[in-house]
Amino acid sequence: MKHCGRLPLTILGLVASAFLLSSCEGLGGISPIFPTPVSPNGQDIYNTYIGISIPAIIIFVGVEAALLWVVLRFRRTKQPVGYVPPQIHGHNGLEIAWTVVPLIVVLAIAAYSFVTLQKDFQPLTQADMDVTIRGHQFGWEYVYDGFTIHQEGTLAGDVTPFVVPTHKLVRLQFEGTDVIHSWWVPAISGKTDAVPGYTNYSWLKIDQAGTWRGECAELCGAGHSTMQIIVQAMDQPQYEQWVKQQQAAAKASPSPSPSA
Amino acid sequence: MAATQTLPRPKAYDDSFFKPISIWLTTTDHKLIGIMYMVTGILSFVLAGIFALVIRLQLSQPNLTIVDAETYNQLISAHGVTMIFFFVTIFLTGIANYMVPLMIGARDMAFPRVNLLGFWLVPVSILLYYGGFLFGKGALDAGWTGYAPLTEKAYQNGSLGVDFWAMSLIVWAISGIMASTNFLTTIVALRAPGMKLTRLPLFVWAQISTSILLLIVGAPLAAAMILVEFDRQLGTNFFTTQGRPVLYQHLFWFFGHPEVYIMILPGFGMISEIIPVFARKVIFGYMTMVGALFGIVFLSMTVWAHHMFTVGMNTYVEGFFMFMTMLIAVPTGIKFFNWIATAWWGSVEFTVPMKFAWGFLATFLIGGITGVYLASVPVDTQLHQSYYVVAHLHYVLFGGSVFTIFAGLYYWFPKITGRMLNKTLGEWNFWTLFIGFNGTFLIMHTLGLEGMPRRIATYANPAWGTTNMIITISSFLIAFSVLLFLINVIRSWNGGEVAGDDPWQANTLEWATTSPPPPYNFEKVAPVHSYMPLRDLREAGGLPPVTIPASTG
Repeated sequence: MKHCGRLPLTILGLVASAFLLSSCEGLGGISPIFPTPVSPNGQDIYNTYIGISIPAIIIFVGVEAALLWVVLRFRRTKQPVGYVPPQIHGHNGLEIAWTVVPLIVVLAIAAYSFVTLQKDFQPLTQADMDVTIRGHQFGWEYVYDGFTIHQEGTLAGDVTPFVVPTHKLVRLQFEGTDVIHSWWVPAISGKTDAVPGYTNYSWLKIDQAGTWRGECAELCGAGHSTMQIIVQAMDQPQYEQWVKQQQAAAKASPSPSPSA
Repeated sequence: MAATQTLPRPKAYDDSFFKPISIWLTTTDHKLIGIMYMVTGILSFVLAGIFALVIRLQLSQPNLTIVDAETYNQLISAHGVTMIFFFVTIFLTGIANYMVPLMIGARDMAFPRVNLLGFWLVPVSILLYYGGFLFGKGALDAGWTGYAPLTEKAYQNGSLGVDFWAMSLIVWAISGIMASTNFLTTIVALRAPGMKLTRLPLFVWAQISTSILLLIVGAPLAAAMILVEFDRQLGTNFFTTQGRPVLYQHLFWFFGHPEVYIMILPGFGMISEIIPVFARKVIFGYMTMVGALFGIVFLSMTVWAHHMFTVGMNTYVEGFFMFMTMLIAVPTGIKFFNWIATAWWGSVEFTVPMKFAWGFLATFLIGGITGVYLASVPVDTQLHQSYYVVAHLHYVLFGGSVFTIFAGLYYWFPKITGRMLNKTLGEWNFWTLFIGFNGTFLIMHTLGLEGMPRRIATYANPAWGTTNMIITISSFLIAFSVLLFLINVIRSWNGGEVAGDDPWQANTLEWATTSPPPPYNFEKVAPVHSYMPLRDLREAGGLPPVTIPASTG
């Protein structure tokens, strides 16, 4: 029985250190942080996460160590025979200390988060281009100037990509048409809900060509898991060529159909 | 005491009187009603646990179709609804129903018949919900939160599951309001002589705060459900695509967030009873513990919109809800530090209930810390509706509520049945649960960080396969642990070691009577001089000949 109390915390310590030490790249399924962000607003979220982690890890380790110390040092078998514990009813100084110190910590975290919130989550007043994203059961529509991309859901995720140019500030406008959906590509930024009745805003600015995946994050019916998202960033010349193709396709068939 | 040890079983009840089923149907004894609440809760726990195992099998590898997506959505909804409404809340009402009158030295609840009616509304509520599976062409399939407009008629393919769910929750809310009124009246009116409010056991204080919360938020829940029914059956447009779907979220979470505290505050109360007993010390900072409870009660009603940071609210409004949410960490932290300080310098005996109490502290801490990440609006836009949230909510509801429920059960089972739960099985129960729980939910955080949304019926990404498999295997360890627990309860109830009146050398009045207590609870209650009346009695050397006033019922 003596050694039993150490086991939970040893296990917890091992799992926690594995959790912290595992690198974020290349280890599918056990990343301790978001994918490397490719948009500045995603980078700010990433930084806020790390900022919160510093006090969080200190508090976690400190409190777990205190719990472990009670198990190791103050268990009855470790106390002298006939030991009568001191009956301490409280201590005002300590109570004030562990009220004020956590208060300061959470105030700091809240202030830091609020600065990021004001910086990245206000609707943009100007942007290089606008795209309206509409969610429906079960897929997404991306309304560009002059043509629309239909991203119908499939479970395998081989959906039509949503294409954006690199180095351009793209304002995203979210509209709901039936139930609530939520557009989420973790490598870009947080999620935004597409709610029927009003418009939501977000933005992205990707500085490298590439492809990133995401999914609908709000339960929207039986096809929820098929509402996969692919975002593809293209350099300006390729993007312009792609736009021309889409415009031509839109002219050829005025009624919108799933296009490549 | 030595003489009673040899008896086969303490006969506090007249068995021949309590055997007929009609007694259980019509009793107004708070103890029998409490047992019925607890048994209902445990049965719901097992049922919802079976749903969880099916969910975990489905997710154990990519692209599985053990159940189809529609069935999967009904299962996750039923898992959530059953665990939250029919297990945790109901079980905690039961244990409070049993213990609160005993702890304050009363003979029954203030309104015994309301108590009985309140209990029998619970099976009505459960049967109504499950009626959806049988008669509704499928039960609720929109998650336990049932967000509109997915629950609206236009998106339900003729299924009546949502109606069954809404009716069920209206009945549930009425039952909860009855129980809360009864608890508050009992605690205000029926305390033993000398038990001032400042001498209430902390579990009773926790029950006061829980009852206040449920009284305030039960009605908004019923209101939301009535409006859902208006939309579905009378053609109104409160939450439809043409109406204001987000209004539903405000109403639901104004109930839903305090509900989280309704499910954890009684647990806090149990831990505040258990740690002083097994550390052989008085609780550290009694008044701050009471103050922290009411700090949580107040704050918990000012934070609901932190479930809605992605719906597009004004950033200053989001800032307010973020700030209030983070403030809850302060009273919760105060409770944590006081519990640790109570055990500090103590002579701590790690019995099974104490192990569960300490396991609760070790795991609930993680749920508290991830709560601060989720409170931060920018970070929450990433983590919201992902597996990170699923991990977080299980750390607070399983690592929190379920661990405290097990702690309370191992602690009070001897009082309720007159028998000790088997210690060896209890140790196995604790360790398998602790390892299985952390194995299931710790790495679940990482899936959310990598972009796995919650409530998806299956996934194609092969990178998530191994993690999900580890989670599924661990979840079966939890199931094994619960099985050990059930075996332990059944075996010990029939043939466990006889407990005696006060096996733990406890502090509070429920241990001053026999185990199980007689229908009238106490022959005598000594005048109360502190919040540890039984300990005072032990130190004074016994019960002086003072009787409480005649029947309070």
